[in-house]
Amino acid sequence: MKMIRHNNKGQFVIIAALLIAIMIISIGALMHTAVTYYKHEPWEEYLTLIGNIELNSRQLVELSLANYTNSNPKNPSILEDNLRKWQTNLTAIYPGREAYLNYTLANQAYNVDGITINYESGLAYIWEKQTSLSAANVTFTLNIASIGLTGYKFTVTTLVKLKILSPPAGDVINVTVTLEDGMPITDLTKDNFQVDNADVVSVSSTYDPTYQIVYTIRCANPISTPVTVKLWDLRGIQVTAKYPSS
Amino acid sequence: MERINITKNTRGQMRIVEVILASFVIIFALSFTNIFAITPTSQKYEVTELQKLGYNTLHDLDEQGLLARFVYNHEWENLTSALRVLLPLDVYFNVTIYDLQGTKVNNVPIFYGDREAFATSKNVASISYGLVGYPTRLSATYTPQILIIQLVRG
Repeated sequence: MKMIRHNNKGQFVIIAALLIAIMIISIGALMHTAVTYYKHEPWEEYLTLIGNIELNSRQLVELSLANYTNSNPKNPSILEDNLRKWQTNLTAIYPGREAYLNYTLANQAYNVDGITINYESGLAYIWEKQTSLSAANVTFTLNIASIGLTGYKFTVTTLVKLKILSPPAGDVINVTVTLEDGMPITDLTKDNFQVDNADVVSVSSTYDPTYQIVYTIRCANPISTPVTVKLWDLRGIQVTAKYPSS
Repeated sequence: MERINITKNTRGQMRIVEVILASFVIIFALSFTNIFAITPTSQKYEVTELQKLGYNTLHDLDEQGLLARFVYNHEWENLTSALRVLLPLDVYFNVTIYDLQGTKVNNVPIFYGDREAFATSKNVASISYGLVGYPTRLSATYTPQILIIQLVRG
């Protein structure tokens, strides 16, 4: 009986030793993998280059729309002029990459949320309406010869929509501001708005189940109709809305 | 006799359970420490890795609208601080900003690290990054500028 018990203990020790041995080997393998692991993915650097060109092209479209909406008289060729320069300058900015950017400006009518937008050289504005907007639309094709990339297409659509929700009530007027994807702009202040014939005292935002965010513009004096509200978003793009529409 | 045998067997089973549990504890501990394992850098790919890091950092800043603001408003200290926060501590940088005519725009150095490292290291990455302008309510003109960022591991 004693012999049997003794032998059994020995078996457990052997099992434990085996398990410890397996663990030691596993740790060794794991540590070796951790120390020698290296994964080189050369395509990632090109993705960042493509991303940078795409981002700057989008910013150029926004900048051109800001310029277009703030100038008087409006220069409809500003976007094309800027894109032509950007196309040339790409070679100087990314030397050795052999990057070539082609573009197609929207020149037709598009329907967005029931509003028909007639683009001219990629730019459009519908102002002095209860729902007004400023928009730009360009389709780019990027070729980077150094990596054999051809025909990478991306479309940049920029749109800022300003809607006066109802007739002004005393010194207060409610508006909504949305982007191309229908999402509201969230961080506008009184510096972003201007009401004709009235000084803007404060701008506050509240949640609304239909529009998500409604801006309440409070003026120094009571507002009478027709009322014109001007908006400059954070990129400097201007939109002018009027109630009632003219 | 039978009772003794049962007790003995149960003891053995419990030990196996203990060993298995102990193994799980150790494996869990090892897996946990593995999360913090730092993968080594490769000498062969060091430059491309630094280039990728630089592109990603500048792209992140640009996407948030900060890079254009810092550059066009000449907020050089903010740019230096942002790069120091976004890049790893052991990566030194030297940024120079030019306009398209090749004139240097930043009048103060945008720099972090040891200058000696740039002179002695065999793996210095250089990246160029373009900016189109910084539109505001008062001005929205196409004024491209080129950032040249040099990176080296200290």
